Amino acid sequence: MTCDEVRLRLSLHVYGELSFNEEEAVETHLAGCEACRVALERTRLMHEAWDEMEAAPAPTMLASSRRELMARVAVARESKGWATRLAERLGLKWKLVSPIWQPLGAMALLVAGYLGARVGPLAPGRPDEASLAAPLASRVRYVEPETAGRVRVVVEEARQRVLTGRPDDEAIRRLLMAAARDPGDPGLRAESVNLLRGQLDSEDVRATLLYEVQHDPNAGVRLAALEGLKQFAGDPQMRRVLTQVLLSDRNPGVRSEVIDVLVEKRSDDVVGTLQELMHGEENQDVRDRCERVLASWKASAGTF
Amino acid sequence: MDETELIRAAQAGDERAFEELVRMHDQAVLRLAMNLLRSPEDANDVYQEAFLRVFRNLNSFRFDCSFHTWLYRIVTNLCMDALRRKKVRHEQKRPAAEDGAISDRIERVEEDRVHGDPQRALLSAELRERIGKALGELTPRERMVFELRHYQGMRLRAIGEVLGASEEAAKNCLFRATQKMRASLGDFV
Repeated sequence: MTCDEVRLRLSLHVYGELSFNEEEAVETHLAGCEACRVALERTRLMHEAWDEMEAAPAPTMLASSRRELMARVAVARESKGWATRLAERLGLKWKLVSPIWQPLGAMALLVAGYLGARVGPLAPGRPDEASLAAPLASRVRYVEPETAGRVRVVVEEARQRVLTGRPDDEAIRRLLMAAARDPGDPGLRAESVNLLRGQLDSEDVRATLLYEVQHDPNAGVRLAALEGLKQFAGDPQMRRVLTQVLLSDRNPGVRSEVIDVLVEKRSDDVVGTLQELMHGEENQDVRDRCERVLASWKASAGTF
Repeated sequence: MDETELIRAAQAGDERAFEELVRMHDQAVLRLAMNLLRSPEDANDVYQEAFLRVFRNLNSFRFDCSFHTWLYRIVTNLCMDALRRKKVRHEQKRPAAEDGAISDRIERVEEDRVHGDPQRALLSAELRERIGKALGELTPRERMVFELRHYQGMRLRAIGEVLGASEEAAKNCLFRATQKMRASLGDFV
């Protein structure tokens, strides 16, 4: 294979999508061609640049899309159910029946919608009171005619248990800590972490935030937890964990923040960690930050 | 319950099983739609329509392929339609407002502000603009194959299965897409 032929295939090579023979030919060529190895490295860099363009949905979007979907599925389910029943009862096809009932259904929808809209949120409970609230909101989801001129109205009620209290109440704090680990909703986790940041006297809360910094899949949540833990930058256990995060977190923004926290207190360990980071760090901004810190501490950027 | 049991339960009308099935796949579907369409509203529309179609047609799913493949056929069809509509709108708009790149840039700045990923701030604005423009100039089919391979990590064989094409056709499409993307970057990287 010529250099041109190899370079045309470098992206597919990076994806591991070349045929066996093509892969062999490319590998053989690369082994003996420095220029193509450089081109391969540039291709990898280009793929990384493409990675950065990923537009992730906002953290709360998934939860709201799910809620909307389940409401729509409930309507579809109801609709499917009553249409089938009615058709069975009358021995007719739904398409033949529906026009007759449409005016009545529309009227019922208007009336029920008006009544439903009047069911609003209850007055908030007294502070420090945990209560089982009545429905917070109602919405007419479906109306259907019944026999003898009656109408059935399907009202969806959100019945939620509402707990109010100060974040330092044990029950509230436990719930916030559980919410901070909710796997399905990063927005909920981020908000819970933010609320827990004022409760760092509690060892459990600190442990929760530390867990989030290390394990949360969402970089925004990790950063929120990190922000809360900044004040404990001198704690040896905290520094051990943050050192691991610095060397393993795949988000450069998080790595940059960790550097800022760790360098508040100079130690030989931090110098060693930054030097180790410099070995494999691919992000220029993080590298620059490391170099600045090491230079200000009069330490070399590499280990010898 | 494993996925097969969930599907069978959902087919029998079990609401919780259907919800569980949605939860197993919906994050990836939303991510795919959002990344392709770059608009929360359009992405949510695809999400809603895709899972409503799944709900309405689940009884016709006969396990001839994996549920993932079946779902992605629905999702990719919806996304391709949306991409084509977007492209037509874009083409129509272009003569009137030739500063489309500027509006794209504003849109992306908006996205950055909303989602606030610090990693993005580290990539130079010019590079982002070039890549964004190149992505926008791929054909809907090339964009879809590139999306499924690069961002979703699917193998070409699976992509072909989802799109109703051969693995070789998917490979050619990916090749064209990556060449166009590379050309747009010039010597930037």
